[in-house]
Amino acid sequence: MSEVAAAAPALAGAATPGRTRRLPRLRPGPLLGAAIVLLLLVCAVAPDWVAPYSPLKFDYRGTLRPPSWAHPFGTDNFGRDILSRVIWATRIDMQIAIFSTLFPAVFGTVAGCLVGYFGGVADLLFRRLVDLVVTVPFLVLVIAIVAVLGPGLVNMYVAVSAVGWIFYARLMRGEILAQKRRDYAAAGRVMGYGWPRIVFRHLLPNAISPVLVFWMTDMALCILLGSSLGYLGLGAQPPTAEWGVLIADGKNFMTTAWWMSIFPGMAIVLAGIGFSLLGDGVAALVRRR
Amino acid sequence: MIQRRQALKGLAGLMAGSFAATTLSGGARAASVTRGGTFTFARAADCLYLDPVHTAQNADIWISLNLYDTLIQPTADGKGLEPGLAESYAVSEDGKEVTLKIRPGLKFADGSPLALSDIKWSLDRARDKATGGDFQFLLEAIGEVVLAPPATVVLKMSHPDPAILEALATFNAGIMSEKLVMAAPGADLEAKSKSFAEHPVGSGPFVLGAWTHNTEMVLTRNPHYWKDGVDGEKLPYLDRVRFLIIPDDATRILKLRAGEIDGTEFVPFSRVAELKADPKLDMVLYPSAKVIYFNLNNRPTFKDGRKNPMADVRVRQALNHATDKAALIQVLSYGFGTPQQTYMPTSTPYAYAHGEPYPYDVAKAKKLLADAGYAKGFTVSCMALAGNVDDVAQLSALQQMWGEVGVQVKIKQLENATRLTRFKAGDYEMRTSLWTNDIKDPNEITSYFAYYPTVHSNRSGFRDTTIEALFEASQKELDPKKREAQYTEIQQRYIAAAPIVFLLEVPYPIALARKVRDFVQIPLGNNIFLNTHLEG
Amino acid sequence: MGIVGRIGLRLLQIVPTVALVAVLMFALMRLLPGDPAIQLLGDRATDASLARLRHEMGFDRSVSAQFWSYLEHVATLRLGDSITMHVPVTRLILDRLPITLMLTGMATVLALLIAVPLAFVAALREGGAVDLAIRMLGQVGLSMPVFYLGLILLITLAAGLGWFPVGGIGGGFVENLYYLFLPALTLALSLAMVLMRNLREALIEVLHAEFVQFATAKGLRRRLVLGRHVLRNALVPTVTLLGLQIGSLVGGAVITESVFAIPGVGRLMIDSIFARDYAVVQGLTIVLAVLVSLVFLLVDTVQGLLDPRQEAA
Repeated sequence: MSEVAAAAPALAGAATPGRTRRLPRLRPGPLLGAAIVLLLLVCAVAPDWVAPYSPLKFDYRGTLRPPSWAHPFGTDNFGRDILSRVIWATRIDMQIAIFSTLFPAVFGTVAGCLVGYFGGVADLLFRRLVDLVVTVPFLVLVIAIVAVLGPGLVNMYVAVSAVGWIFYARLMRGEILAQKRRDYAAAGRVMGYGWPRIVFRHLLPNAISPVLVFWMTDMALCILLGSSLGYLGLGAQPPTAEWGVLIADGKNFMTTAWWMSIFPGMAIVLAGIGFSLLGDGVAALVRRR
Repeated sequence: MIQRRQALKGLAGLMAGSFAATTLSGGARAASVTRGGTFTFARAADCLYLDPVHTAQNADIWISLNLYDTLIQPTADGKGLEPGLAESYAVSEDGKEVTLKIRPGLKFADGSPLALSDIKWSLDRARDKATGGDFQFLLEAIGEVVLAPPATVVLKMSHPDPAILEALATFNAGIMSEKLVMAAPGADLEAKSKSFAEHPVGSGPFVLGAWTHNTEMVLTRNPHYWKDGVDGEKLPYLDRVRFLIIPDDATRILKLRAGEIDGTEFVPFSRVAELKADPKLDMVLYPSAKVIYFNLNNRPTFKDGRKNPMADVRVRQALNHATDKAALIQVLSYGFGTPQQTYMPTSTPYAYAHGEPYPYDVAKAKKLLADAGYAKGFTVSCMALAGNVDDVAQLSALQQMWGEVGVQVKIKQLENATRLTRFKAGDYEMRTSLWTNDIKDPNEITSYFAYYPTVHSNRSGFRDTTIEALFEASQKELDPKKREAQYTEIQQRYIAAAPIVFLLEVPYPIALARKVRDFVQIPLGNNIFLNTHLEG
Repeated sequence: MGIVGRIGLRLLQIVPTVALVAVLMFALMRLLPGDPAIQLLGDRATDASLARLRHEMGFDRSVSAQFWSYLEHVATLRLGDSITMHVPVTRLILDRLPITLMLTGMATVLALLIAVPLAFVAALREGGAVDLAIRMLGQVGLSMPVFYLGLILLITLAAGLGWFPVGGIGGGFVENLYYLFLPALTLALSLAMVLMRNLREALIEVLHAEFVQFATAKGLRRRLVLGRHVLRNALVPTVTLLGLQIGSLVGGAVITESVFAIPGVGRLMIDSIFARDYAVVQGLTIVLAVLVSLVFLLVDTVQGLLDPRQEAA
C-alpha cells in the first residue's frame, strides 16, 4: 500500500475505516451534555423564573439551616437561600465560561493554523511570543493585569483573553505541524489546492479535536480561575453570586455547614461535565466527517 | 457589655485552670508552675520589621514588648500600669518632670549591661522628629532626658503631658542597646538600625532566635530578664515561643485541632462557638480596644468634583440611623461584638459610653434624608479590601439596609495598596475601617479621628475648630477631672456631627490548647508571653 | 543541525525571552495603582516617613531612571533587597524555590501516574461505562477549586485520619516527601484530569488511525501495538500540554501554598505583588522565566525524541 493511497480516504472525507464509517447516531453522552448545558443556559437567562427566593434576601433568624423542603440546598450564614444563589450564579459563571474563552479559542485557532502551516518569520515571532507569555505563570500574569486594570469581571475577560489565545494557538500549531507532514496534505498540494482550502478544509478539521476538547475543558478552568480571582477579591464583585465565591464563602463552614460549599461545588462539577460531554460529542462529530 | 462579660468569663476560666495563685498580675504566693517547653503559636501574618521605633503594623507592634522591654509596663489586664525597667516612677506636681528610678543590674539578652545611657539613647531616638517614626508624637512633650547616676533618669518636659506615663509603656519607648545597634553593619544610624532589626537583641523577656520571613519566627528565653516568676525564679517560664505564619484561617484551626500547634490568633467569629464546644481547647475572647466603623467622606465635593451628599450632617445622621447595628453585630461577629458608642473603644479612658448614639430607625433616617433634599436617596460607592470576607459580608448587609431608605451602595473591592493610596488622597466616598488603640489614653485616637490638623480627621475632611481647641487644651491638662470634661465635650460634638457610621466593638478571638496557661492579649493587642506556661 | 546544536540554540534564545519578561514585569509593576510606601507603612504613616522610604527605595526617581538601574542590576545578577522584608531577594528565592520545585515536581509525577493509566483504560473502552465513569471522575477532579480540594484533603486525610500533617514543611528531603504529598496531590489532580482528557482523546485518534489498524491487521501483538505505536504517538500532544501546564502549575502552587502554609515562591510572588514589593516580583519573574524556559526546552527535546519526524519545530 503506497503512502499516497493510504492518505486518500482521509482527503475524501471518510476518515477511518470500520466502526466510524457507520452513520453517526446520537450517543447518550453528548446528548446528556447538551441537556446539562441547556439547563444551565435556562438558569442563566431567566434565573428569576427558576429560583424560589431572592438570592440576596437576608434572614437573620434562619441562618445556616441544613437542606429542607423549604430550602433544598439549605441557607447560608446570612439566611440566604443557597439554591437561589447557586441558580443566580449560573448567569455569571456562564458569562465567565463564554466570554473568557471565545476570543482565545477562535483567534488562537486561526493564528495557530497560519503560523503552523506557513512557518517562517511569523512562526519565529510567534514562538518568541509564546515563550514570553508562558514563562510567566498564567495566574500571576492575570492577577497582575487585573490589578492594573482594576478588579471586576470585564477586566478579567480582557486579561484572560490577552494571554489565553496563546495556549490555543500553540496547541493548534503543534497539531497542524503534525498533520502537515501527513501524506494527505502533501497530496492536497500535489493536487494544486490553494492554501486556504488545504489549511481550513483539510488540515483544520483533522487537527481541531484536541483544541475543541481543550476549549471545553478551558471553560471549566476559566470558571475555576474566576473563583480563584473571586477568592482574592479580584473577580466578580459582591453581592453578585458566583459559584467560586460561594465556595469560598463556605470555606469556614466546611465542618459545621457542609451544604454551603458542597452545592456550589456540585454546580461547577455539573457544568464541567456538561461542557466536556458536549465537547467530546463535537470532537467525535468532527472526527467522523 | 455582653462581649466583655463573656471575655472575662473566658479569662476567668483560663485562670481557674491554672491555679488560683498564678494571677495575671503576678501574685505573691508561691505556686507550682511548669517551666520550659515551646509554645507554638500560629499567626495570620508575619512581622515585617523588628525595630520598636520604625514599627507600623499590628503584626510588629503586638510582638514588640516581648523583645524590647519598656520603663513602665501595662498590667496584664491592660487596665493599669506597673513598674518595668524602672522600679518606681513619679511625675512632679507641675507636670514638668518625670523621675524614674531604674532597677540595678539590668542586662540585655546577650548579657551586656543595660546602662542609663542606653535609656537616654533609646528615648532620644524615639522622640526625635527625624528618627522617631510614626509614633514619635507620643513622646514629643519630652524636652530633655537627663541622667542622674547611679540609677535615676529624669525627663524634663517641654510642656506637661497627661499621658506621658502611658507613653513610656508603649512599644516605641522600648529600650535598645546603643552599643549593639551601633555595632550593626551599616554606614549611618538608619542603615545600622535596619540591619540590627534583622537580628535584634533587646531587653525584653525573649530574644529573636531564628527567623524565616513569612514562614517561621522563634523567640527564645532571655536568661538575663529581671522579673521574678511565682516560683521565685526569673521569668519567663517558657524556653521558646515559636510562631508559624499561616495566612489561611481554616488551616490554622485545623492545625490546632490536630494538636500540631498550641494556639492561634484571628479565629473567625463564625468558628468561635464550634471551638468553645471543643473540650481540648480554650476559646478565649480577650477584651480589645478595637472598633469597626464606616469612614465617610465629609468634604463638600468628591475628588472628581461631584457634589457630596454626605457633606450634609443630616445625611450622615440618616445613614447612621439606617444602619441596623444589631444585624451587623450578628453578621460580623456572630453576636460576640457590642455596639460602638463613641469613636473610641469603650476601654479607652474617658470614653463617652452612653449607649448607641444612633439607634436603628428607618423612619427617622428617611425624614432626615428628606430634610436634606435626598428623599429619593443617592448612590454611594464604598471601598472594600479585596478578598476580605468580612468586608463583603458587612457591605452586602449594608446594601439591604440602606436600600430601605433609597441609598444604593456600590461595593468597590480594591487591593490594599490602591485602597490606602486613594484613602490618603481623600479620593473615596466611603470605606470599611477598623481601628486599634496603641496607647491606653484617648489622645492618639482623638488626634487621628477628630483633630483636623493631624490627618484631616481620619481623612474624612470633617473639621470642628471647637474640638481642635479642646483637644489642644486637653493635651496639657493634668487634672483628670478637667481632662475628662474636655473629652466628654469633644465626643459629644463628634457624635452629633457623625463624621463616621458607628458600628461595633469586637474582642480578640484566640484559641489555645488546654495546656496553655496565662497567655494574654491586652486590649491594645500586645501578645504577652512573659507569664505563659504549659501544664500537662 | 545536530541535537546538541539545537539545544545550544534554544539556550541562547532564552536570553531575549527572559529580557522581554523582565521588561514586561517591570512595566506591569509600574502600571499598578497604589503607592508601595503607603502599602508598607500603612495609612497612619506621616508624610515624612513616606518620603524617606520612597527616597530610600528610589521611587522618587523617574521611571526611566529606575528602569536603567533595574536593567543594570539584572545584567549584573544583583536582584536587590526586598522592600518589605529587608533581606536580599536572592536569599528569599534560594530559600523558597527548592520547596516549590519539589512541590511541582511531585505534582507532575503524581499527575502522570494518575493520568496515563486512566486515559488508557478509558480510551480502550471508549463509550463504555468504564470510560464514562473515569471521565465523570475526571470532571469532578477538574471542577474543584484548588483551595477547596486542598481543604477537603486536609480535613479528611490530615486532621481527620491523621495520616498526614496539617500543612507546613518538614526538615529535610525525605520528610518533605511526606509533608508535601497532600499539597502535591491537590495540585496534581486538576493537572491529571487535563492530561487524562487530552491523552484519552489522542489515544482514540491514534487507535483509529490507519497504521494502527494496519499493524493490528498484520497480526502484531496488541500489547506491542499499544506500547510502540499508540502510546508513542499519543504522547506528543500530551507532552506539549504538560509543558504548557507548567506555568499554570506554578500558578496553582500560589493557592496551594497558601492553604497548606508552605513557604514557596508561589505565595511569595502573590504576597509581593499585593505588597508592591517590586524587587521581589521582578527578581522572581526572571528566575521563574529562566526555569520555565528550560522546561520548554526539555519538552521540545522530548517531543523530538518521541516524534523524530517533527524536527525542532
